[in-house]
Parts: sequence; C-alpha cells; structure tokens
Amino acid sequence: MSSQRTLEQAPVQSLAPRHYSTINWVGLQTLYLKEVRRFMSVATQTILAPMVTTLLFLAVFVLALGHAVDKVAGEPYMAFLAPGLIMMAITQNAFANTSSSILISKIQGNIVDLLMPPLTPLERTIGMAGGGLTRGIMVGVATWVAMVPFVPLSAAHPQFILFHALMASLLMSLVGVLAGVWAEKFDHMAAITNFIVTPAAFLSGTFYSAERLPPFWQKVAHMNPLFYMIDGFRYGFIGHADGSLIAGILVLLGANAALLWLTHRLFATGYHLKA
Amino acid sequence: MSYALQARRFGPVNWIGCLSLLRRQFKNGFSDLHYTILGPVISNALYLLLFVIASSSLTQLDPQGIVTFIAPGLISFSIAERAFEVSGANLIFEKHERTHMDWLMAPLTPTERACCFALSSTIGGLVVGAAVGLMTLLFVPAQVVHPLALMFFAVATGMMHGLIGTLLGIWAAKWDQYTALHTFVLLPLAFLSGVFAPVGGMPEAAQHLIAFNPIFYLIDGFRYGVIGEAAADLRLSTAVAIGINAGLFAWVHYWFRTGYRLKS
Repeated sequence: MSSQRTLEQAPVQSLAPRHYSTINWVGLQTLYLKEVRRFMSVATQTILAPMVTTLLFLAVFVLALGHAVDKVAGEPYMAFLAPGLIMMAITQNAFANTSSSILISKIQGNIVDLLMPPLTPLERTIGMAGGGLTRGIMVGVATWVAMVPFVPLSAAHPQFILFHALMASLLMSLVGVLAGVWAEKFDHMAAITNFIVTPAAFLSGTFYSAERLPPFWQKVAHMNPLFYMIDGFRYGFIGHADGSLIAGILVLLGANAALLWLTHRLFATGYHLKA
Repeated sequence: MSYALQARRFGPVNWIGCLSLLRRQFKNGFSDLHYTILGPVISNALYLLLFVIASSSLTQLDPQGIVTFIAPGLISFSIAERAFEVSGANLIFEKHERTHMDWLMAPLTPTERACCFALSSTIGGLVVGAAVGLMTLLFVPAQVVHPLALMFFAVATGMMHGLIGTLLGIWAAKWDQYTALHTFVLLPLAFLSGVFAPVGGMPEAAQHLIAFNPIFYLIDGFRYGVIGEAAADLRLSTAVAIGINAGLFAWVHYWFRTGYRLKS
C-alpha cells in the first residue's frame, strides 16, 4: 500500500538513475561483508590452518637451530622469530584472500557480481582490499594468541606493530587483487605464489637477522618490501630493527599508494575483467 | 567356437582392468605437471636455502651438516605429500563429480582396486621425490649409502600416504574435512617427526612422543639409506613400515569390499 502511494505521489523525475552521495556506503559495505563472509564461512581453512602451520614453522626452526643460537639482536631466537612468522602469516593470507576471490569469481563467472553493481572503481578497490586486510589481521591476531603460551612476547612499540600490520596486510591484499585480475588459471596463480610470493616471504629476514648476512644477501633483503614489513613489525615487539625504520615507513606508504592507484586504474579500465 | 552369452572370464587378476585404472589415476594426478612437480621443488629449495642462510648467519653450526641432515627428510616429506594427494584429492574430486562409478562398476576385485590406488600414489610420490632429490644436489653432494634401504623406505612412505589418502578420500564428504585432517593431523605429524632436527637433541618428553609417530620411522629409515645414520633401530623402522602398510592396506581393502561411503 504504502509503496503504491509513494509511486503515485512521486514526481516523474524519480524515474532516473538512483542517486548516492559521493560514496555508495551500502554498496561498499555489502562488498566488504561479502568478502569477509567468504573466508569466515571456512574459518578452519582460512584462519586456523595458517595459525597451525605458522606454529609448526616456529617449532621446526627452534628445534633445528634454537639450541645453537646464542642471541639474535639481543633476544632469544624464539622471540626474534615469532614476530617475523606472524607477519609472514599476515602477508600470505591477505594475498590469498583477494587473489583467490577474484580468480575463482572469474573462473566461475560470477565476477559480474563485482562489476555490475553501482560501485565506483574506488569503492571496489576499497571493498576488495578491505576483505584481504581483515583476513590478514585476523590471522595475525590468531597466530599471536596461539604463540603467547610458548613465546614471551612484549610490545615495545605498539604503534609500530599496528602500523606495519595494517600496511603490510593492505599491501599484500592489493598485490593479491592485481594477481587475481591478471591470472586466468589456477596454474598462473600457483606460479605467482611459487615464484614470487613465497620466495619473497622466505628470504625477507623472518628467520635470520639481515645484519649478519653476507653483503650480497643483505642487498637482496633490502630490495624486498617484505623485509621492511617484518623489520618494522619486529621493532614493535623487541625494539630492534635491522634496517632503517624511516625508509621502511616510506617504502610501505609509497608502495601502498602506488598499488592503490594501479588497482583503481585496473578496475576503472576493466583490464582482464570486462574484456 | 561358441559365442554363448556368459560372464567374461579373467585369470586370477584382471590385468587389463588394473592397467586401465592405473592409467586413469595417472591422467588425473599428472594433468598439470609444473604445478605438481615444480611447486615442491621450489619450496623445498627455499627451505634448504633458508637453513643455509639462517645457520651460517646465526650459529657456529656447520651449514653443510644441517643441510645434509635435512635434505633426505625433505625428499621423504615431498614423497608423502604427493602420494597423499594423488589418491586423496582425486577421490574427493571424483566423489563430487560422481565419476568414481567408473571404477566401482568395472569388474575389479577390492584387492585390485586397493593395489592400483596404492601403486599409483606410490609412483606419483616417487616421481616428485626424485625431482626434489635432484634439486637437493645443488646443496649436498650426491651420496646414497644404502640404496636398498632408500628404495624400501621411499616406497613404504609413498604407499603409506597413498593408503591414508585413499581412506581420507573415501571418508571425507567435503573438501573442508579433507584439508582439516591434512593440516591438523598429517602435517604436524610430518613436521614433528625429525625432518628438520635430530631427535637426539630434543627434550626427553618430545623424544618419547616422537617414538609413537610412525612417520618418524619412515623418515629415519630413508635418511639411513641416504647418509647411513639412523636415530632409531633399523629393524624397528622396517617392522613399523611393513606393519603400518599391511594394516592400512587391509583397511582400504575392507572399505572397498563393503563399499563404505562409496556405494551408499
């Protein structure tokens, strides 16, 4: 009844595209919630499984090397290793969330659900990246909580922990969007993971202190954005950084700005999506 | 010559049927080679590289010694992972697509089915294991002290995980259950089995626990084949390998015979 009355009373101009204010909040919220619910419905695989594998990594390295390591950066090996491993879990899962979401949607054909709704490229970018960011942070928190019984973790500089966790998670979820847009088959994604993401994470200074590396490997580490994420994040816990903190913050801000711009361009032009 | 309609007869073993099932398993398991072989090769190379960098920069330990110890464990681990996947992932996929009818309907005995599943997983595991083994030559000198022990434990590892994968594939109704058991049971058992660290250096409580981990004996035996040193008694490792495989084979055979979760 009421809807009929509104229709009768409504002026003719109402047959026009629906208007939103500058940002389509409802649409943005819907996209974000869709992305979060996608991984929360299989939380054992997306949150618990990474937590367990990260703990296994901790156990393996501490068992294999812990007894022979005196101190790293003034800390027991475990306390040095733990922040790096948490960061590794954050980055891998932020990447996995956005990349798999887009690739699976492309393969199953429901990518139109992302492309058709009245969302601007910016809203799409934020909604997608927000989902990956949330997964990364949730995995990070879960891993942290699981490690607490085994590793004495203090927080020397909480603001660094928060900043680096957010920046790293955002960065890798944006990289995941790019990878998902570019890839056409699961093979492509496996190649990106095997050749780029995993090596970058493994050789980033999670497991060793870059300070003590031979010069060549030190240079390799300093060219790796993941090095700065882990280094700054670890500084937040133990109060010691291998590289320059300012450089790290600038690299992360710069990389995120560039990736946001690039993702926005891709969504705006429809590259590999609307073709 | 009479062409009377009657049941087709085979000898005691339906060789053609077995070969067909094997070929089918291989086609399913090796469709994307660079994913199944290159993936493990690269990730294991990274593990070794990590241990070299970490041990040489953080400790006074001899990196060569650590890598020599770890490399056989990683080979054994990659055999296990692949063998598990060949039968397990395949079975769930087939159950979803309902294509497992193809080999349930075929005139194969439960023994033949169980043998084919075990064999295809073992071979799949060995192929990946060989690739990873070749990769480790970048880090360690080529040596095989006891080739017979190496072959025996490589086959036992592949077969055991192939059979476990078969059981899990039959039992699991969804991918979730399959990956959950893999991540929460099999992976911890494999990681905490002495792949990466000599058991002798661990706390005593951990050593007692590891003695109950069958994967420990398989990896230990395999490592004995490569470097000639074992932490456990070799006769015990052999007995565990044979016993576990016989038990698992009987279990798979039983499920194939009764059609548990397959024919219902």
